[in-house]
Amino acid sequence: MTDLAAADQLLEDNSPASGRLSLVALTKQFGNGPDTVTAVDAVDLEIEPGEFITLLGPSGCGKTTTLRMIAGFEDPTGGEVVLDGRNMIDTPPNKRPMAMVFQSYALFPHLKVRDNVAYGLKLRKLPAAQLNEEVELGLKSMNIEQYANRAPNQLSGGQQQRVALARAMVMKPKVLLFDEPLSNLDAKLREQMRLEIRRLQRHLGITSVYVTHDQSEAMSMSDRIVVMNKGRVEQAAAPEVIYRQPATVFVADFIGRANFLDVTLLSHDDDGHATVEVLGQEVRVPAHPDAAGAADVVLLVRPESIRLVAVREGDEVAAGGHAGTVTTSVFFGDTVEYEVDTEHGTITAVVADPNVSDIHEEGAKVEVRFNEGRAWLLPREG
Amino acid sequence: MACKKFVHLLSLLPIVSPPFAVATAVITLFGRGGIISNQLLGQQWNVYGLGGLTLVLALSFFPVAYLNLLGMLRSLDPSLDEASQSLGANKWQVFRTVTLPMLIPGFAASFLLLFVEAIADLANPLVLGGDFTVLASRAYIAIIGEYNLGAGAAYSMVLLVPALLVFIVQRYWSNRQSAVSVTGKPAGAAKMNTSNAARIPVLALVAIVMALIITIYGTVILGGFVRILGVNNAFTLDNYRYLFQGIGSDAIITTTLLALIATPIAGILGMLIAWLVVVKLRRGAGVMDFLGMLGLAVPGTVLGIGYAIAYNTPFDAFGRRFIPALAGGGAIFAGAMAIVMVYIARSIPAGQRSGVAALQQIDPAIDEASTSLGASGLTTFRKVTIPLIRMALLSGLTYAFARSMTTISAIIFITTPRTRIMTSQILSEVEAGRFGNAFAYCTILIIIVLTVIGLLNLAMKGKGSSAAPTIPPAAA
Repeated sequence: MTDLAAADQLLEDNSPASGRLSLVALTKQFGNGPDTVTAVDAVDLEIEPGEFITLLGPSGCGKTTTLRMIAGFEDPTGGEVVLDGRNMIDTPPNKRPMAMVFQSYALFPHLKVRDNVAYGLKLRKLPAAQLNEEVELGLKSMNIEQYANRAPNQLSGGQQQRVALARAMVMKPKVLLFDEPLSNLDAKLREQMRLEIRRLQRHLGITSVYVTHDQSEAMSMSDRIVVMNKGRVEQAAAPEVIYRQPATVFVADFIGRANFLDVTLLSHDDDGHATVEVLGQEVRVPAHPDAAGAADVVLLVRPESIRLVAVREGDEVAAGGHAGTVTTSVFFGDTVEYEVDTEHGTITAVVADPNVSDIHEEGAKVEVRFNEGRAWLLPREG
Repeated sequence: MACKKFVHLLSLLPIVSPPFAVATAVITLFGRGGIISNQLLGQQWNVYGLGGLTLVLALSFFPVAYLNLLGMLRSLDPSLDEASQSLGANKWQVFRTVTLPMLIPGFAASFLLLFVEAIADLANPLVLGGDFTVLASRAYIAIIGEYNLGAGAAYSMVLLVPALLVFIVQRYWSNRQSAVSVTGKPAGAAKMNTSNAARIPVLALVAIVMALIITIYGTVILGGFVRILGVNNAFTLDNYRYLFQGIGSDAIITTTLLALIATPIAGILGMLIAWLVVVKLRRGAGVMDFLGMLGLAVPGTVLGIGYAIAYNTPFDAFGRRFIPALAGGGAIFAGAMAIVMVYIARSIPAGQRSGVAALQQIDPAIDEASTSLGASGLTTFRKVTIPLIRMALLSGLTYAFARSMTTISAIIFITTPRTRIMTSQILSEVEAGRFGNAFAYCTILIIIVLTVIGLLNLAMKGKGSSAAPTIPPAAA
């Protein structure tokens, strides 16, 4: 566990108002001539001091390149990286008040844990007494004092990542950069570490940019998630907004699981709702503002918003329901997942905390219902 | 296993010994009046010529191939063996269908590299060639015997073309195959093959080779302490007395000194080239790497003749002397400068190769971590890169020193009466038939090389903590 008091002491003179990071039309192209690939395409982003931002997207979406341009390891083709009003583009990476935590930990294998943590401070030529004190606080705040005299290869992956965090933190950076720092850890440790990092970051208020392709990591840690696709920002918003009110089909599909129902837009109301027709039934659902003028719309229904009701032979399907046949039924313990064939195509449904006797068998006839208030209408083309 | 270590060290002996040790010992053992051939078996073998040369060159050069394959075998992932076995292959099939194909690049690289060494070898043909003339010895005779520099240069060209060609093929081959040879971190441990059908023939072969090496080096050591080994086996210190008085001790000191000067320069230059090739240069990396390796690709004879021609006369222009003569009797430092330059050129490739291998192992994120913590490029090189390639530097220095001390073909054309070099002294002793003196020289040379290597190891290992491997750690 992290020691927040020690971390506080380490960073007591850090001004909470600094660390405002802006990306302005940040662009990176690789190659030249006809082979040019635009990895990052005019990304604009305002990051508030102390904010925890996650760049999320499939591999090749430009998230790592964006992070490396912020750090200075990659020269942008165009655009600006502005920190507290200062453009950092011409500042070399070693002069930027930022510290990076790497996926491979990147601990110096020839230095002991203590010397790894002290590395940056030694370069700053801190007086010995102050240096030792700050290194101790850094080790203490990540709870790794007992490994101080070990070589990095004598530590487990999780311990190594703690050393890497301590090494970055003692630099008292204005911005912490994380490049998929937890992806080499096993699932349980990963969950524990992401809570610790989040707790520490929120407590210290250091602006953080975190790159990951793991959406549960992004959901659980971020103030805001920036979903990227093909070098562009698809949406930048709080996790709840990303999940419940995605701006594009890509975001809806990438975050969590989604059923997309074909609907016809009947009317768009000013109160953020729209009336749509789903297979002959009129329903009122929350809608994205862009859905009003869109040529084609689609209705997002999350699998957990769907209820399945058993239908006995000969029964009629009630109003608001749709007939379906269970094709797959998988019991996960905490949930049951179904695939149901309906006139809308195959619909995925997840039922939490299932009562074993109520589980629908494969081949069973069911009535599919969904919570209209939880659905979300959005334009088909971003 | 103590036995394993013993075999390993014995296999490396030919690397640290002068080229004449094996050839001279083979003549004493298997020659016309040889101890084994004649006195023991009553045979009249002719070791002079192609047969003897083949044996001696094989014994002298096999350590290079051994080290190459050792590295490859160590990096083979045992899980490939296990995968093959779980798919139904027996031990022999695993070896034939998985292990062997993966070693082929190693075999090919060793073969081509040794081809370059063998085609250019001068020392052994001079001693053992007899009527069998090779290009290198022909060039030597043209220059030293007939004072015909032009003919020597012409022979050199004929030698240079195939050597360079094969070297380029070898580089192309090993670059193409590098994806196969670098398999990353081996998981698990390879199982020993316990079947006797496989073990006995291999062990028997190894035992024969080891027995041969022991006999040969036993002959070298013993030969220094008797009048004429095999003819008059009376104990004597005369050989060593001859060595330590006058010319001999002069050569020993000069050679060691010049090699000690060349070694750090070659080691550091090799590392620097490696660093440029792996880390700094993007476009010119291939050219740079090739230039550094030229010292290995160009036959020593060619290099020596080239130096003799190029640096024998001073470089004058516009009525002023820019560079004085570096090689030959009238040169500055009595020609020692040219010798050091040859040592450096011949030794750079060793340091460069181990440097490139070590640098490629370093995770680029480690450099970036250092930068991110505020270090400049130079600081990162000094505080992170250098400590991480220390072991490679050590092995580079070791090779550089051993190579400098034992090289002959390049040196023989530029030694001067005032700058005597041990290897060329050994050659004249052998040519004069004074094998006792030659054996004593060889023994001293081996002792010097081993001592310096030992001291180097002590100095490098004593400093700092353990140099840990730099492979990025896997999941906990």
